[in-house]
Amino acid sequence: MPRLGRSTETLVVSRRRLDAHVEGHPVTASLQEAPPTSGPRTDPSHPSVETSPQESRRPLLSGYAQYALRRLLLVPAQLVFILLVLYLVIDVPISLTQNPPESLFGINRGFFQMVFNIFTGNWGTTSYTVGETGFLKLQLPWTQVFAYYIPTSVQLAMFALPIAAALAYPVSLLAGWSRRPGLDASARFVTLTAALLPVFVVGTLVLNALFLGYLGYFQDVPSDGLIPGSAWFIVRGGYPSWILYDFATQPTGFPLVDALLHHAWTIAAISFTKTLIQASVVAVAYVAIFFRHARSIARSVREEVYIVGARSRGISEHTLLWRHAARAVAPSFFLVFALTIPEYLGVQFAVELAFVDQSNFGYLIFASLTASDFSLFVPLVFLIAILVLGWALIVDLIALRLDPRGPAGR
Amino acid sequence: MTGAPVVGPAGMVPAQPRPTLRERWARRPPSLGFLVGAGMLVVYVIAALSALVVFRGSLDHLPENLTWVPLENPVGPSVAHPFGIMAGFGTDLFDAIWKATPWDLGIVASILAIDVFLGFFLGAIAGLDEGGPVDAVVTFTGDSLASIPTFLLAVVVFAGLFIVAPSAVGLPVFVVVFGIILWPTMARTVRERARIIAHQPYVEAARASGASFPRLLVRHVMPNSVGPVLAQVPLDVAPIFFVLSAFPWFWDCQYPGGEQLHYPPPPLPYLIPLLPPFSPLPSNSFPEWGYLLGFGTCEGFSFPGGFDYWWMYLYPLLAIVGLGLALGLLCDGIERWRQFDR
Repeated sequence: MPRLGRSTETLVVSRRRLDAHVEGHPVTASLQEAPPTSGPRTDPSHPSVETSPQESRRPLLSGYAQYALRRLLLVPAQLVFILLVLYLVIDVPISLTQNPPESLFGINRGFFQMVFNIFTGNWGTTSYTVGETGFLKLQLPWTQVFAYYIPTSVQLAMFALPIAAALAYPVSLLAGWSRRPGLDASARFVTLTAALLPVFVVGTLVLNALFLGYLGYFQDVPSDGLIPGSAWFIVRGGYPSWILYDFATQPTGFPLVDALLHHAWTIAAISFTKTLIQASVVAVAYVAIFFRHARSIARSVREEVYIVGARSRGISEHTLLWRHAARAVAPSFFLVFALTIPEYLGVQFAVELAFVDQSNFGYLIFASLTASDFSLFVPLVFLIAILVLGWALIVDLIALRLDPRGPAGR
Repeated sequence: MTGAPVVGPAGMVPAQPRPTLRERWARRPPSLGFLVGAGMLVVYVIAALSALVVFRGSLDHLPENLTWVPLENPVGPSVAHPFGIMAGFGTDLFDAIWKATPWDLGIVASILAIDVFLGFFLGAIAGLDEGGPVDAVVTFTGDSLASIPTFLLAVVVFAGLFIVAPSAVGLPVFVVVFGIILWPTMARTVRERARIIAHQPYVEAARASGASFPRLLVRHVMPNSVGPVLAQVPLDVAPIFFVLSAFPWFWDCQYPGGEQLHYPPPPLPYLIPLLPPFSPLPSNSFPEWGYLLGFGTCEGFSFPGGFDYWWMYLYPLLAIVGLGLALGLLCDGIERWRQFDR
């Protein structure tokens, strides 16, 4: 059989070449059944020990640190890119057509001045042209306005995110895990419907449904922000001294915390229930978005080798699901959350708006657009971008540390 | 040896006749969800085509009928007006939604077409070119843009264009802007899948046997990366209608400046809404589901605490959600069919 003989010969020759090529490599050496006594690992006079670049040169940074540094350097670049987009879509059109107000950043001064201003904290002032309202007509710096509004938004998010997590985690896990097509299909149907409903419509429906009951119990309306409405205060003889102009509270800015600090128990109770109602709407709407991403993760975990192996050894489905799979999906769920923060913020803005809360970002966005004041958007989008990119960075680094094979490690 | 398989030219694979469409259908009939979704979509298309014929001359505005606009007690659904009367416009809501169907199907289809074209193409290229310059550019741009809420970016870009050339900006520009804004999410999910496909043995084999980059892309990577596109398409319907409905609603109901601009109140029918600034719609009586929903949500509640005028927001909402669900069921059915194929 000449053909076979020839190919065997070729194989033998190439094996010898391979051996000659990798001879002296520490891994190959350790794999050999009987390591040579005078090999490169044992013989100090062997040239490869002294001059081998693999052994003598260590990288300055570990692979993980290199990745972290690269990701960290990427964030400022992305922020500048976003500012460039904003410069092109907002500042250039305005400078082409209108007399620029002083509060806008880059106009007539160029892109680099705008970047410099933003990174040094010079975020301009409010400059409403139509429908002036609240303290916005006072031409305050945006940093001060944001400082007024951030605590109420944070208070809402502090309630909404745990509720969303408590809903999304088990629902996504169960629907992805279940082999019954009915459960998965109905979960997909419900969440797609919920995602298609505009949040402000849902918010208005909830507000209306609760209105009379809330009014009867608290003598207050469920709308009007996270503290009681103005009518409630007027009936009781006016605002206390720790509630400032435009419903900002002191000293912390968080309405609930401030009410508790001042022992205003009724105001605290009203603030708590209002936050809870709005947070529930935010959470339900956000779960619909989260679920679409998270279901496939739970499904892929179901087919992991160690899960299948554990199942074949008789571990109960309950234990597999809630002890093993629930733990395995956690890093990926954090990644999904990092990816969907912009959508979460969109949902929260719309809900804040639907509940007629005038001291929040949702109101600012819509009011600025309808009043043709664009000076809000550069600092606001910058703020959102810092939040989103920063959180994505942190989650990527944690996920890579927990599981180097995960999505962040690729 | 009558039953022996026909031996193919390679000497290994028995040649089999390609199954006909009827045989494929019989072997794996489409799921119930697929049929329902396709049926709903057909109904929408028939409604749109019939509206083009029925409302030939008046497709771009809603008729106002002052006798149908009682301020205190709007007319609800009846035999004559199955969806009731929309207050303010004084128009039959069934006719309004029907008339809006061709416009809205056109808007959604165009936006999704741009979104899918860009997202699918760029995502697949980036996935196949992992680590290369195209991947770097697509990932960097996509990640940066995706860190801004969709509706915020879309509206800011649109408003910026509106400032430069207000007369030239309308629905076509809105459609193009929204399609361009939506692509990063699509591209990101497609890239993830394409990256996995690009490392499959059959793609490696094709590459080793000299297949070019375009051939790898079109023949192997793109056909196998359709799944994320099908999952994302129904979700991308939501932000479109959010933007189209939220601003009319806000302008009419919430914004104090809007109220101020209403003073002194214009002559009756004063409830006819004003278009918000930077609206893509050409006039304040333009038939469009999002606009009807926004206005209906504003006027449809006998505030406080009443749901008396429920038809004003329910029917536009059903039209929007129905379209999204039809797309969702259809895409799910196609995806299931494709997976069964393997």
